[in-house]
Formats: sequence, structure tokens, C-alpha cells
Amino acid sequence: MNEDRSKKYINPYLGGVLLGLVLLTAFYFSGRGLGASGAIKSAVVASVETVSPTHVETTDFYKNYKESHAGGPLKDWLVWEMLGVLVGGFISGAFAGRLKFKVEHSPKVTSKIRLIFAVIGGIFFGFGSQLGRGCTSGSALSGMAVLSLGGFITMAFIFGTAFALAYFARKLWI
Amino acid sequence: MNMRLKLALAIIPLGIIIAAVPENTTRQYKLTAPELLDEVKQGMQFVSTDEIADMLIQKDPSLQLIDVRDKDSFDKYHIPGAINIPLSDILSVENEDYLNQDVKMNVFYSNGTTAANEAWMITRQLGYINNYVMQGGLNYYAETIMNPNKPSSTSPDDEFAKYDFRKGASAALGGGGLNVSTDNAPSAPKPTIKKRPKKKRVAGGC
Amino acid sequence: MGPLIVYEYISEYTNLLMAFIIGIGFGFVLERSGFSSSRKLAGMFYGYDTTVLKVFFTAAIVAMLGLLFFSLFGWIDLSLIYINPTFLWSAIVGGAIMGVGFILGGFCPGTAFCALSIGKLDALAFIGGLVIGVVMFTEGFPLVEELFYAENMGTPTINELIGVSRGTFGLILILVALGMFFVGEWAERKFPREEY
Repeated sequence: MNEDRSKKYINPYLGGVLLGLVLLTAFYFSGRGLGASGAIKSAVVASVETVSPTHVETTDFYKNYKESHAGGPLKDWLVWEMLGVLVGGFISGAFAGRLKFKVEHSPKVTSKIRLIFAVIGGIFFGFGSQLGRGCTSGSALSGMAVLSLGGFITMAFIFGTAFALAYFARKLWI
Repeated sequence: MNMRLKLALAIIPLGIIIAAVPENTTRQYKLTAPELLDEVKQGMQFVSTDEIADMLIQKDPSLQLIDVRDKDSFDKYHIPGAINIPLSDILSVENEDYLNQDVKMNVFYSNGTTAANEAWMITRQLGYINNYVMQGGLNYYAETIMNPNKPSSTSPDDEFAKYDFRKGASAALGGGGLNVSTDNAPSAPKPTIKKRPKKKRVAGGC
Repeated sequence: MGPLIVYEYISEYTNLLMAFIIGIGFGFVLERSGFSSSRKLAGMFYGYDTTVLKVFFTAAIVAMLGLLFFSLFGWIDLSLIYINPTFLWSAIVGGAIMGVGFILGGFCPGTAFCALSIGKLDALAFIGGLVIGVVMFTEGFPLVEELFYAENMGTPTINELIGVSRGTFGLILILVALGMFFVGEWAERKFPREEY
């Protein structure tokens, strides 16, 4: 194992404890868990509204969303949280000397293929997270912390499907 | 030592503790003390005996009288239509449906107002709405509605109007009064049921 | 007494500021744990790196224990915490679709933002895909509406379902997770990879 490379990451259990404390802080202050995909949805709805306000007015989905999320993305908890993630990730990367533009991929595939599959994966994840009412952080992680049945189901199916399909996608990663 | 073992040593005992202790079922107070004090000062919880009598005569379905005295006293005498929830049982789970709702107007009463006020303060602090206290309690109810005193002849007219109403109410509700027609009874203004926002669960999710 | 926002100890704007600060903590811990590397994340599914499993379950357990102890001490009112509702079919189908996205894209939304912050371009592509996926969902919502609302079970917790207390289920979850960590470390020794 490459020593100085692995040293830059903290022990996963310690990382888990810290992440758990961050999650607990979120529950204590704001009464809710972490999330990610909701921030994208908030931004998407706001963009659609800017591009075509009439479309938003005539589509039930956007109308309902706007009613339940008054104030737009700037008043959205998740949007601010994701902005924080960008800052926090940058700080950590800067300390560890990992700031670098690059495309990470298996030596067996080219960068182009990796990017294409990243987009495809993103489309699936984006769609699935909206259907499943939350992504790995919003539904699975936060849901498990409050023992929500839905959180456990979502978690089991995310990882279960990924395991089931791992063999077919092995060239992308190993 | 392996980090996994350290983690296990820390969280397994914590897990055993949390599995062994009973869950905290204490119901938290939703109102802060100053908020409650403010409501007490304004006397928002009181409903007069005249208003109660009027609602009883009109058979107002939204009125729910709750007798907070013990069961013996309740069996001996209670206002018609009242249910019995002794003060000592006010927090039991089976009574929660009666107390925490937003359809009926609950009015607590006891002999005086002390026990009823205690019941109101507890339920109000839990964030329940639509609970009230009968002003003066059962004693005052008996005094004013069941056996009203004739005002002295120098009293203003509205005292007489009140007296006539009470006479009528007394007759209608089985008190010891005389047969004065209820037609000229001025109907007391109905207390408006105030709706206060409940503390809501946080909305979240992706 | 928490959650602080419900009891109005903090204002709405302070809450948003807290979101930002919590986000910084979230991003920092994710990056520091190695979640900014898609190959490290994907390693979970091939057994050569089970960091995801360890961090994910440790975090869930710590937060869960924290909530249960906070509730025990009367510091937080669990009835006011957001519990995500369970719609059985959308959770299953949505979860499965996310699984496909995970193995193909190598990120989940949170980790993608984290990876983007240190300059991973594949994360940028993934986020582009996320936006397309979300737009597809919002535009095509009438098509999936029935599935989205099917089998609404309210907000059940898993311990209610199997009829044990929260604490007992917590202990079970801890033991299961430790068992999985053991298997994970075994897998890391069995399928080692020098360089990724």
C-alpha cells in the first residue's frame, strides 16, 4: 500500500464518527438531516422559472413545489448546505494538497468514456433521487439515523442494485 | 489497536445502555414560561358561567365540559354533558384525544378554579389548543346559574337582564329557580375559538 | 431544548447560516475521508476499498445514538425531527435507479459536489447528468406520479415495524454494522489493489 497516499485520508471510522457528529448537529439545530439532491431540484426549479415563467405557472409539479418552498433557492436550507460542502471540500483538499483538475478513471478506459458514463450515471441518480425522495445523504444516511423505514429501504436498494450490476461495470473502475 | 476495535469498544456499551434504558416518553412543554404567563395575564383561558349556560341551553355541540374533580365528586354531581378527567389523570395517554384536538371547545371546571386552572396550564404548555377554564368554578356556577340572587332594585338594567337570563337558564338546566320564560334571555356572545399555530415538525428531505 | 429552529431559539436566517456551516463540516469530512475519489467510492462494490461502508454506517450509528441520548437527556424532541416519509414503491424503484447511477457514475450527489470542489472533472460531468435527470423528473412528473405516490405508509420507523424499542433496534444495528465492517476488512485483504 502506498503509505503517504493513504495517510492523507483519515481513518474511515474516525471519518464516520465526525460525519455522524455533523449530522447530529444538523438535527439539533435545524431538526433535519443532511441532503444534496434537493439543492439541485431547488436550483432547477428556479432556472426553469427564469427561462419560462409561464411553463411553471401551468405545470402542477412546479406550482406545488413553489408553494411548499416559498422564498426560492436562496431561502433553501439544502442550497446553503451544498454551498458549504463546496467550501468545506475545497478547504480539506487544499490542506491535503489534492486540488487539481483531473478526470479520475480506470486505466482500461479513456477519459472520454469516463465522462460519458459519469453523465449517464448522473442522469440515473438525478432521476432516481427525485423518485425516491432523496439521495444517499438525504434519504439513506439521514433516514437511517432517525430509523426511518424508507431510509433503510432506499439504502438497501441503492447498494443492492449497485452490487448486482458491479460485475458489468467493472471495466470502468478496476 | 485496530480502529475498528476501538470503535466497537466505544459504541457497543453505548448501544447496550440505550437499549436497556426506557425511552424518554416525557412530553415536552411547547410553550415557554413567559408565553404562558402572558396568556394567564390576559385571562384568555376563562369562559364565564353565563356563556357556558347559554351554550348548554342552545345545546352547542362544540362545547365539551370536563370535570377535573375526582370520580366521587363527579358521581355526586356534575354539570349535564360533562365528562370526568380527574386532574391526576390529565397526562394519561387515553385522555390525549380529548384534550389535544381542534374541533371542540373544552372547558375545565372544578369546585373553584384552582384545579381547573392547573389542568389548563398543563395542557396549554403541551401546546394543546381549545382548552378553557370555567370562571369561578362549580361553586360560582351554582351561585349564579342554579340559584341566582335577585339584584337590588337600584341595580342597572343589564343586571336585571342578566338575572332574567340566569333564571331562565336555571329553569332550563334543572336548577331551583322559578318559571321565567327564556325568550327574553339575552344571548351571551359566543366565545370565539382561537386557533394558535401548533409547533410543527420540521419539513425537510431532498 | 432542540431542535433549536422549532423552538425559535434561532431565526430563519441563522438557520440558513447554520446550513452553510454544517455544509462546510459535511464537505470537509467527506473530502478528508476520501469520498472525493470516484474510484475509492466504487471500490466498495469490488471489495478493494470499503471506506464508503465504514464511513456511512459509522456516521448513521453515531448520529442515531446521539439522537437517542439527546432524547434521553431531554435535549431534543424526537417528535419534531423530520422523518422522511415512506412510499414503498417509489423508495424501491428510486433506490434501484440510484444504484444504477452509482455504479455507472461513481458518485452520489453529495460526494460529487465534494469532488467538484477539489477539481474533479468527472464530478462536474456527473452533476451535469444530475441536473438533466432532475429536469427529466420534473418535466415528466405526470408519467411517474402514480408510482411516486403509491403505497404511502406515512412516516414509520423500522423499530415500530418489527416491534422493538428504538434503543434495542439501535443495538441490533450497531452489531450488524460491526459485522459488516469485519467482512469489509476481510474483503480488503482478499481483493487488494495497489494503485487506484
